[in-house]
Amino acid sequence: MSAAIKGPSLTLKAREAISGWLFVSPILTGFMIFFVGPLIAVFYYSTTEWNLLSQQSHFVGMENYVDALTRNDTFWNVLVNSLVFAAGLVPLNMLLALGLALALSRSVRGAVFFRTVFFAPVITSAVAWAIIWTFLLQHESGAVNRALSVIGINGPNWLHEPHWAMASVIFTRVLKTVGLNMILYIAALQSIPRDYTEAARLEGANGWEIFRRITWPLLAPTTLVIMVITVVGSLKVFDHIYLMTGGGPQNATLVLAFYIYEQGFKFFNTGYASALAVILFVLILALTILQTILKAARK
Amino acid sequence: MSTIMIKRLICAAVLSGTIATNVNAEELRFTVWTGSKAHLDMLNDIAEGFRQTHPDVTVRYDTIPFGDYVQKLTLQMAGGNPPDLGWLLENSAPAFVEAGALADVSKTLHATENYNYADFSTSAMGLWTKDDGVYGIPFSTSPFLVYYNKSLYDAAGLETPDQRATDGTWTWEQLKKDAATLRNADAGVWGYETVDGQGYSARVWHNLIPIIRAYGGNAWTDGTCHLDSPEAVKAIKLFHDMIYVDGSAVPPGEQGDFFSGKSALTVTQISRVSKLADANFDWGIAPLPAGPAGNAATVGQAAVVAFAQGKNKDIAAEFLAYMTNAKNVAKMAEFFPPARKSVLEGDAFLSSNPAITPEQMKIVAQGIENGSVLPSHEHFPQIEAKARPEFDALWSKDADIQATMTKLCQGIQPLL
Repeated sequence: MSAAIKGPSLTLKAREAISGWLFVSPILTGFMIFFVGPLIAVFYYSTTEWNLLSQQSHFVGMENYVDALTRNDTFWNVLVNSLVFAAGLVPLNMLLALGLALALSRSVRGAVFFRTVFFAPVITSAVAWAIIWTFLLQHESGAVNRALSVIGINGPNWLHEPHWAMASVIFTRVLKTVGLNMILYIAALQSIPRDYTEAARLEGANGWEIFRRITWPLLAPTTLVIMVITVVGSLKVFDHIYLMTGGGPQNATLVLAFYIYEQGFKFFNTGYASALAVILFVLILALTILQTILKAARK
Repeated sequence: MSTIMIKRLICAAVLSGTIATNVNAEELRFTVWTGSKAHLDMLNDIAEGFRQTHPDVTVRYDTIPFGDYVQKLTLQMAGGNPPDLGWLLENSAPAFVEAGALADVSKTLHATENYNYADFSTSAMGLWTKDDGVYGIPFSTSPFLVYYNKSLYDAAGLETPDQRATDGTWTWEQLKKDAATLRNADAGVWGYETVDGQGYSARVWHNLIPIIRAYGGNAWTDGTCHLDSPEAVKAIKLFHDMIYVDGSAVPPGEQGDFFSGKSALTVTQISRVSKLADANFDWGIAPLPAGPAGNAATVGQAAVVAFAQGKNKDIAAEFLAYMTNAKNVAKMAEFFPPARKSVLEGDAFLSSNPAITPEQMKIVAQGIENGSVLPSHEHFPQIEAKARPEFDALWSKDADIQATMTKLCQGIQPLL
């Protein structure tokens, strides 16, 4: 009697697929539990009225969204503040980053030193940065107004006057984050083959023409990436506002991420805060898609 | 017996021992916002005392930073990991009580021998009781006091605030005059700094309420806002003039730390005495000034609470009763002004903190006895957020105080 020795029942392809899944399963499990799970949970919570303190929760459908969009005046003010912040920060940040990159991508004396100086705030603690700037922006004894007084300008109370407060947080945020965009632009500039610019120069093109016809178009993919991350970052801003103005004065710097925090963790309206978070998510998604479409349309 | 067998037996013995210990032992987790070694040593000392009657119970103090305290506590509760006990501030009390988040400990307190619940005055217990239930016992009832820089007062030849308090001439008008006299722009010294320098933001209520009460006003009573009353407006006008007419109060957006000698006067609580240990000037404390409505002492309060969702509710309630008995309250009085009348009136309290003279401690005791607690409400966080932009609008030279406060009251009225 001979027992038939069975060979492996799985094909090579199936076995490879299984081992492949096994290899990625640890990271995939973590990703599902810590990223996808909470994301889906936020959508669910946004349809409930859930008080974090009393732990009472019941389904209210779209009521939180209807309330935020039609009955809550503060929400619209907050949304406008967020858009003003983004509209101020994104162009300023990108222009400054591009200017710095153009100046510092060349191998000139001191370039490495200045690159380090402009990149240093990126790796500085956001808390330390914000606190130091609140000191620098004090009304009478702050370094900024003292410097201005030397040239005869009576500086405003930067963080305590509604219009100047928004400008101040935008400006200090730009200085904090511009270094990262500068580095991305420098990397992109250095990857442009020199042949192109040299050929253009031989044809008689001047500096502006070379920038407009060669450098800028070749930077387009980097510009899109930078624009997306800067827009997303500006709409999600929280730490800067929390530390420098606390949303004031007179709610002038109350932005969406800070308002979500207040609703969720100060008023314990977790369901409502989740709905606001979904609105922020949709807003960022829409803007990102729009930027990609506009870029594709131009090609 | 093989080596493997021996190893297995040792493992089994160790494991069973661990399990057996876990079954018998109970650990109470107690959240606090202090990280001070002196505070934690004292709290651990109390926990050690409790072990004499409950040898299997250990207490673990879990420090959560003050700024994140309520947020982290709430998240722990929502995440199914509530502490057994914790500290809670007066402005969180109504929301926690109304939400049913706190355990009613009245039965345990009444069943505890020699607890003497009547030792706590009704006013001290106001925020922590509802119907017949008791939801917390105040461990710190800290009055707001005036701290003054005695060196500056002496140099200017002015009568000091505590002398004036004895004479009966210590008023907010007098404080305003003193602050204007002691303001020295050239030396960078301000006349008056608001509570912890945060009187325009996080502590705007702490800044204004004592003045408003001294003028006969109040934040609200029985669901009606009074912050736009003539009394409240007059009180705010006094402080507003200190900033924009006299230039004596540290204005918004400036720093003038009293504790480093940059302001002549400030209002704060007794726990800040520790910041004066290395002060290079003489200092003193005085009660809050009086106003047209007389003295209006104001106190901040914090209580020990047991959480309704806690896993060891009965033991937690027993520990709460132990921690707040007369002996332990006297022990805690070194750092936290007590709410127990017997401790407050005892001589031991007057000499409980070596940094404070018995005469100064008497001022603290008087503040506790006569003081009323800061405004509190079930919807306080919402009220605070709604009032914030209106308070902000006060801080300009041309602000219309009456109009701003009327708008503030209209805004918060639906929440009261």
